[in-house]
Amino acid sequence: MSWDVRCVDVGKRYRVSAAPRRRSLADLFSRPSRDVWALRHITFDVERGGVLGVIGPNGAGKSTLLKLLSGITAPGEGEIRIRGRIAALIEVGSGFHPELTGRENVFLSGTILGMRRREIAARLDSIADFAGIGAYLDVPVKWYSSGMYVRLGFAVAAHLEADVLLVDEVLAVGDAEFQARCLRRIQELRDRGVTIVFISHDLGTVERMCRRAILLRAGRIAAEGDARDVVTRYQRLVTDGVLTAGGAPAEDRAVAITGLAVLDAEARPACVARSGDAVTLELAMQVARPIEDAVVQVMIYSYEEGTLLSECTTPAGGITLRPGDAAVRFDIESLPLLAGAYTLGAIVRPRDSQRAIDWWFGRTTLHVEGGPPTHGHLALPYRWSLARVSEPDAVRSR
Amino acid sequence: MPTPSSTSAAAELASDLPDGRRERVIRPPVFSPAAAFHSMAALPDHWDLFYTLTLHRIRVRYKQSLLGPAWAVLQPLATLGVLTVVFSYIARMPTGGVPYALFALAGLVPWICFTNAVTTSTQSLVSHAQLVTRVYFPREIVPLTYVSAAAVDGAITGVLLLLLMAYYGVAPGPSVWLAVPILLLLLALITGFALAAAATNVRFRDVGVAMPVALQLLFFASPIAYPLETVPARVAGLYMLNPVVGIIENFRRVMLDAGPLHAPSLTVSIVWAALLLPAAYAWFKQVEATAADVV
Repeated sequence: MSWDVRCVDVGKRYRVSAAPRRRSLADLFSRPSRDVWALRHITFDVERGGVLGVIGPNGAGKSTLLKLLSGITAPGEGEIRIRGRIAALIEVGSGFHPELTGRENVFLSGTILGMRRREIAARLDSIADFAGIGAYLDVPVKWYSSGMYVRLGFAVAAHLEADVLLVDEVLAVGDAEFQARCLRRIQELRDRGVTIVFISHDLGTVERMCRRAILLRAGRIAAEGDARDVVTRYQRLVTDGVLTAGGAPAEDRAVAITGLAVLDAEARPACVARSGDAVTLELAMQVARPIEDAVVQVMIYSYEEGTLLSECTTPAGGITLRPGDAAVRFDIESLPLLAGAYTLGAIVRPRDSQRAIDWWFGRTTLHVEGGPPTHGHLALPYRWSLARVSEPDAVRSR
Repeated sequence: MPTPSSTSAAAELASDLPDGRRERVIRPPVFSPAAAFHSMAALPDHWDLFYTLTLHRIRVRYKQSLLGPAWAVLQPLATLGVLTVVFSYIARMPTGGVPYALFALAGLVPWICFTNAVTTSTQSLVSHAQLVTRVYFPREIVPLTYVSAAAVDGAITGVLLLLLMAYYGVAPGPSVWLAVPILLLLLALITGFALAAAATNVRFRDVGVAMPVALQLLFFASPIAYPLETVPARVAGLYMLNPVVGIIENFRRVMLDAGPLHAPSLTVSIVWAALLLPAAYAWFKQVEATAADVV
């Protein structure tokens, strides 16, 4: 298979001394230092048009890998090959100058990212649109709100033409609606055949965005392969000893949850939905033994605080599940969530017990883009009409 | 659309693939003139960045100041005023019949360009840490834009010099065209110092601290406020090793028609530039590879 990104036995070593940031001539002679490998023996390929997820705990070397791929710093050993124009989707608002206008700063950071002035000029409207700063384009950015500032910085990066795109923690940027817009943009680029390396803490998004993934742990590749499998491996790593699984080991469970997906109106898996959309939450299970009193629940939590917002549940009396693959679907006619990020969880339990047969947490994220309303806590489905009290036969409109 | 492909921090080879894409190979850095030459050849790809950043330096410098761009004129005038008061009223400096203000300004034109460029570019990589750790672009662009912004300062001072020459009725001599190669030589020297200082300051911040003192010393060790002839013969050999002596002295001579070229000092300047510029660039590229780890 033809690849766009190839790493062969790549390593990066940092010299750690007592005062790593303040370097002076005196330090050179006096300070003992030792080497720490931030990354070692990293070997992988990303095929053309492929999307590779990179996950792992903090300090595992994810960001170092991104710095090596983008050329920000050089590897200590090994070899990296990249085919085509590379771009990093990161927030570069830090390169903005407060006294310059938004427009001037777009040119500044655009050229820093490797765009031509001509290209920037051609995309200026689209960039301002994406950032949602419209009328403020000619105002010095020191008058911007911090949200506008960040959005504009990111919007420039989102408009790079690239063959290979590096994405680092996109969800750390901007408000929920802007995050959803960024994800959609990445999806577009993916669908257009751009090769993507996607670094994120958001396992659910990695799972849906990427076909393959690698798990970094203490600077080494701990797992590599199908994104679902790698996310599962990572989750076991995280939950082992932290949460106690509700039931018996996986092989002894009567029911094992195999997936929780959000489907759009055409029954396609979706990362991003819109307030008021018709969506389906689908919980896939593998049933090993028949069970007659199963209660299946899907919960929706806020992404930030983890507050339980709502749950969908099968009847309290229990349903019958027969051996084989099963899927429970909850159809939501009009998604009542406002713009934001949400986490979905699921649980399968017997009717009379809170002890789970199996559970599923922290893997499915739903990003919602706003429609009306934009204020409040939920998006009620409603119709409206105009009525006049004095004339009962007034024209009604939907 | 043809797109620039950055040459990266590391030693690297670029080759074109059959489909027109460029393949970049990133390896651990090695100190090699060939790699440095290769990165230099890729610099024209980044012209847009160089242009935009230079424009940015010039635009930003006097923002939120009351006098704005007037400072570009006031700064050299202030230095000139001090020198003129000290050396033509308090102490009399022999200048071979040239009015002292004109004499000093002719020396200040290359000097201001030099000192502004070296001072600002020394801190350039460190002060752009936010960018250096987040985005890759050829880092030499940063000090180079400070050099070009300083060249604009020099040009403004140059216009002042022409005005002052007109005021005193001093016409340039027939060899005035030599000012062009002399200024190009100055530019090469400045670039060499700027790259070396910026790179070294990433590793050793001592450079940034020592730079103002060193430049002050260099100011008095250069024939700006006084003519070259006043330097005592027994220290002249050592004095001539100063790379800017040849430029300042000869620039003044060709501009004010004040004698033939001073060949020994000019030769020293040429040798400095020829050795320093390539060495500084190779050193810069070497430091650049891991600059993001230490800034």
